[in-house]
Amino acid sequence: MPDGSFAHSQQRSFNPYTDNGGTILAIAGADFTVIAGDTRQSEGYSIQTRYAPKVFRLTDRAVLAVNGFAADGNMFVKKVKQRLEWYRHAHAKDMPLRAIARLIQTMLYAQRFFPYYVYNILGGIEEDGTGAVYSFDPVGSYEREACRAAGAAQSLVQPFLDNQIYFKNQTAAPGQSHPTHLPLPDVLAIVIDSFTSATERHIEVGDGLEIYVVVAKGRSPQGLDTMRGVQEMSARPDGDRMFVIRRDLKKD
Amino acid sequence: MSIMEYNGGSVIAMVGKECVAIASDLRLGNQALGISSNFQKIFPMTDRIYLGLPGLATDVTTLRDTFRYRLNMYKIKEEREIEPETFAHLVSSTLYERRFGPWFIEPVMAGLEKTPSGAYKPFIAATDLIGCINFAKDFVVAGTASSKLFGVAEGLWEPDLEPEDLFETCAQTLLNAVDRDAYSGWGAEVYLITKDKVIKRTLKGRMD
Amino acid sequence: MDHFPTNWGRPRNDAFDPYATYPLHQRATAKDTFAEGVQHTQQPIVTGTSVIGIMFKDGVMLAADNLASYGSLARFKDIQRLHPVGSSTVLGASGDMSDFQALQAILDDLTTDEFTYQDGHDLGPAEVHEYLSRVMYARRSKMDPLWNSLLVGGFRDGKRFLGYVDLLGTTYSAPSIATGYGAYIAIPLLRAAVDGKEDTLTEDAARALLHECMRVLFYRDARSLDKYQLATVTADGVRISDQIPIETEWRFAEGIRGYGAQTQ
Repeated sequence: MPDGSFAHSQQRSFNPYTDNGGTILAIAGADFTVIAGDTRQSEGYSIQTRYAPKVFRLTDRAVLAVNGFAADGNMFVKKVKQRLEWYRHAHAKDMPLRAIARLIQTMLYAQRFFPYYVYNILGGIEEDGTGAVYSFDPVGSYEREACRAAGAAQSLVQPFLDNQIYFKNQTAAPGQSHPTHLPLPDVLAIVIDSFTSATERHIEVGDGLEIYVVVAKGRSPQGLDTMRGVQEMSARPDGDRMFVIRRDLKKD
Repeated sequence: MSIMEYNGGSVIAMVGKECVAIASDLRLGNQALGISSNFQKIFPMTDRIYLGLPGLATDVTTLRDTFRYRLNMYKIKEEREIEPETFAHLVSSTLYERRFGPWFIEPVMAGLEKTPSGAYKPFIAATDLIGCINFAKDFVVAGTASSKLFGVAEGLWEPDLEPEDLFETCAQTLLNAVDRDAYSGWGAEVYLITKDKVIKRTLKGRMD
Repeated sequence: MDHFPTNWGRPRNDAFDPYATYPLHQRATAKDTFAEGVQHTQQPIVTGTSVIGIMFKDGVMLAADNLASYGSLARFKDIQRLHPVGSSTVLGASGDMSDFQALQAILDDLTTDEFTYQDGHDLGPAEVHEYLSRVMYARRSKMDPLWNSLLVGGFRDGKRFLGYVDLLGTTYSAPSIATGYGAYIAIPLLRAAVDGKEDTLTEDAARALLHECMRVLFYRDARSLDKYQLATVTADGVRISDQIPIETEWRFAEGIRGYGAQTQ
């Protein structure tokens, strides 16, 4: 109490979590996948840094985006990468995407009673060469989807994606049908629009945008390889190809 | 439980080229339980001003009647119809009167303003539940799906949309936003206001 | 970031201790039933305030004042909060000073161990930062945190490094970082002067900038001192300065009611 007396015994406990803001997003194409995240890290109203990556390359054909409590996120990525390295040593090959997805679910559920406060989105190329997105909740529930947004601006971005990717509430012209998968340039435009919109209306989103694109082996990167400001990070030119696109977002 | 989510519902208004649109869902709920799929939240205030009242349903009814009364009094005293900007201030002061025991409503209004040259200029505005006015130039949103409406509208809206394009943008924004909101949906209606007519369209929506 | 170390890692609660007098006026009378059990989640007792750090043309510079507070009491006025680690790294600490001293001991042991290997390797700033983040994250995961916000600065192989770690294990790096009150008061000044200009900012300009920030902090942070130290890390190694006094000007307060001595 202000007068120094104790009306009640006080106990305040340590809170081992915080929220570091930001948003992530992934969209699967027929033979490619796009995984993106902004690069702002914040706590409360303070921007801690304008560049803290949330999207990580796991293998030649798998990318993981993590969002929520940054310390848990970084530790989780570290541990996933470690498990994938052990797998490589044991089996002399990279773990397939669907196996990584199950691994992530197991690792998250192992912490069921002290969870990683992290929303994960895994994107990449499946063994059959199709683009795939897996999304997880903090304790490991997961499913394969064509697109998913998560994080601070999930509620702003996901309905936009429903409309633009799944063509929800849109009727195709008579005798025509909506495409099941969009071409890469269309997907990239939607991703960039999503993040500029989220930046405009959400204070925890902004500063920079990092877009990973994984293209299945032998498939066309649809002009991406010649696009301005694109960095290729493929292990081999004849395997699956991986690119990073970096864009500025508003810093206010 | 937040009282703003007790009945659910959402409204959006958008500016176009010499036109405005205002749209709402039609759900009335008792928390998670759907009660009605025909609960209107948008009301004509004059021929060219429409008011959306998302929030606590009992206050929707009360405020609709309050504004009808106050506009009648205005018309009797002034011998003319109210202009949209004046109406926005009427809404604001009506809500601020109850600053410390507010109506649980976040009004959204759309209309056409008569300029000195005789032309009509689009007008939209929204306030919070105690009457802080937001005169936006593009779009305003309110209700339980407001964050979703912001996200979709920010992605779809562009300046100077023709009336039919504005209708489509507004309808798509509302429909896709309320489909991700458990407290909004169950059908929708859109009012498209142009200088010589007002078109009301009732939309089918997902019923889950 | 919350500028009261007492509140770090806790839910905000203005009902409890609204004047931030803890630990001065607290005298727990209730008997703790579990006192003999394992004690976790202490609170910071003797605390240091902000640490500020920037990158500049030739390296990294950190500043921290010499005060260790006991609640609102300025208890120790000759405490060094900058600690060299190896030959290319410096650590700056805010928060609980006993936890910081424990960390110093851990890091000194670590550097000694690394030295005894005689394998031609030693720890650089990135390694020290990574190591500290693991220690801090491991302790938070045991629900027994080390109650600090730390800055790690260094220069190695021609590359600057400036990183942050706190009691939750949260990490990041940026061209300018500040802990505690500095995150609100110094960061706007530092970002304007440093971010994007790291490659041209001279050592003299960097020193003047940090001096100015320490002055502003002394004016507004009630738990700060007008005496601080600077750590500079360049290709030449780590230099920790002598104590630098901050000259202040209070004549303006005379005419302001509530500031200077009041006559009425």
